[in-house]
Amino acid sequence: MNPQFLMDGLVAGAMIGLGAIGVTLTYSILRFANFAHGEMLSWGAYLALAVSGGLGLLSTSLTKPIGPFSFGWSLPLAAVVAILLTGLLALAVDAVLFGRLRARGGAIIILVMASFGASLALRSLLEFIFTSKPAYYTKALQIAVKIGGGLRATPDQLLSLGLSLVAVVAIHLLMTRTDIGRSMRAVSENPALAGIAGVDVRRVIRVVWFVGAALACIAGIMTGLLVQIRPYLGHDLLLPLFAAAILGGIGSVPGAMIAGLIVGLSEAAAVQIVGAEWRAAVSFVILVAVLLLRPRGLFGRAA
Amino acid sequence: MTAPALETRALVAGYEPDLPIVRGVDLSVAPGELLVLLGPNGAGKSTFVKAIAGVVPIHSGSVLLGEREITRVASHRKIAEGLAFVPQTENIFATLTIHENLQLAAVVLPKAQRSDRIAALYRRFPDLASKPSRLAGALSGGQRQMLAVARALIVDPSVLILDEPSAGLSPKIVGEVFSMLKEINAGGVTVILVEQNVKAALAIASRAVILVEGQIRHEGEASSLLGDPLIAKLYLGTTKQASEAP
Repeated sequence: MNPQFLMDGLVAGAMIGLGAIGVTLTYSILRFANFAHGEMLSWGAYLALAVSGGLGLLSTSLTKPIGPFSFGWSLPLAAVVAILLTGLLALAVDAVLFGRLRARGGAIIILVMASFGASLALRSLLEFIFTSKPAYYTKALQIAVKIGGGLRATPDQLLSLGLSLVAVVAIHLLMTRTDIGRSMRAVSENPALAGIAGVDVRRVIRVVWFVGAALACIAGIMTGLLVQIRPYLGHDLLLPLFAAAILGGIGSVPGAMIAGLIVGLSEAAAVQIVGAEWRAAVSFVILVAVLLLRPRGLFGRAA
Repeated sequence: MTAPALETRALVAGYEPDLPIVRGVDLSVAPGELLVLLGPNGAGKSTFVKAIAGVVPIHSGSVLLGEREITRVASHRKIAEGLAFVPQTENIFATLTIHENLQLAAVVLPKAQRSDRIAALYRRFPDLASKPSRLAGALSGGQRQMLAVARALIVDPSVLILDEPSAGLSPKIVGEVFSMLKEINAGGVTVILVEQNVKAALAIASRAVILVEGQIRHEGEASSLLGDPLIAKLYLGTTKQASEAP
């Protein structure tokens, strides 16, 4: 078995993990499975593409590759703008759709169905604006370099892994060491009591949408950078995202990232063992196995 | 004339707009009073205090904290106004540590005051101070009640409302919790207590109000109600004197 699957699995797992953090946060605090979360990855990727393209038109020096990487300064700058815009998009979807349904006391199933609708609308809008033709941040080719242990990785892949690690540590510290993180955990456990204790629950919900969408945007940009940008980019990752969120334990940020890596590695191993056509089935098997054997996941709390 | 610490005027409240549970309650609680709300099951006692705390919708009428109307103030802002509420069940965050529970509640205070206020509460509740990093979910029933009250006291409230703090506690622990409430009240905090434990509640209260079917049916000094067999029979569902009730 070629050990290279480890690197491929870790890179894919890091992207899944980042996306799964958003799923786990919205699931634990808003208490519904948001099937539109995948679209935040796609929108994040395309928003970064649009802004990066715009910056490239303003100054061609911004498109000149930075050091060993395949992209110029236009992409990191565009990523910052795209993170902000994706966060605002999530807040807008909540204000227009989910927030209104919550205010009416809508049942969970209504919110879930609404998320399907939102997913479809957001994806169709992307296809309408950008077409379904795959796009790329850069046309530069990268050669994978040896990193030891018989593994090879491109500088872009290593950067993505590093950034994922930084992002997950930052979110973990946010959740455990800050006032807003404690408030998020309190709302996740008991929103009514959180309100009585002085927590502004609506503000916490806004922060959750923004943080979840920001991480989705980072994951989308990484996927776009390492693979390609397509309107179905996020939709195709939806099952792995949910498998990772549930395997990690709903509400657990480190759990989502570790489970994302497990899902990514399992998929990569499956490609080698049983063939690439079975890759998509891996997440499904993991999802079903966790729900049957350990519904609270690796790090989730008992109901 | 001193304004009441808390006042409700013709308060109508309930979960559904067309099904009011609290039906026009006028109640005035004087500063420093320890008032107990009694009544049979389903009388609307808990709904009444939850409506004051902002957890149950108010359909009409008003709530005043001191001279300020707080009827439509969001529940999360009421604690900062000086109105603290301790629900009957699930009144602490089990997945947070003792210290995190207090830190969470301290968010409504200016940053400079938070650690001093938490330290003051630890001095008042030494049981909590001995294990601040323990998960609140691992505490005993009495310790949970203590933490819930400590959380509510973080802002030094003018009015503290508790919904059945004795529920599920052993008689010994109930005695400790009620002594604590008496002490808090002696410190100048107006306390409103919803209770089913009639004897223990009347023993520490200065005044009692009996609610039946969402309306006040009787009110008077706690000591007079303690020996009133008619009140016990009519409103507390027992033919014993209230002083003999458990």
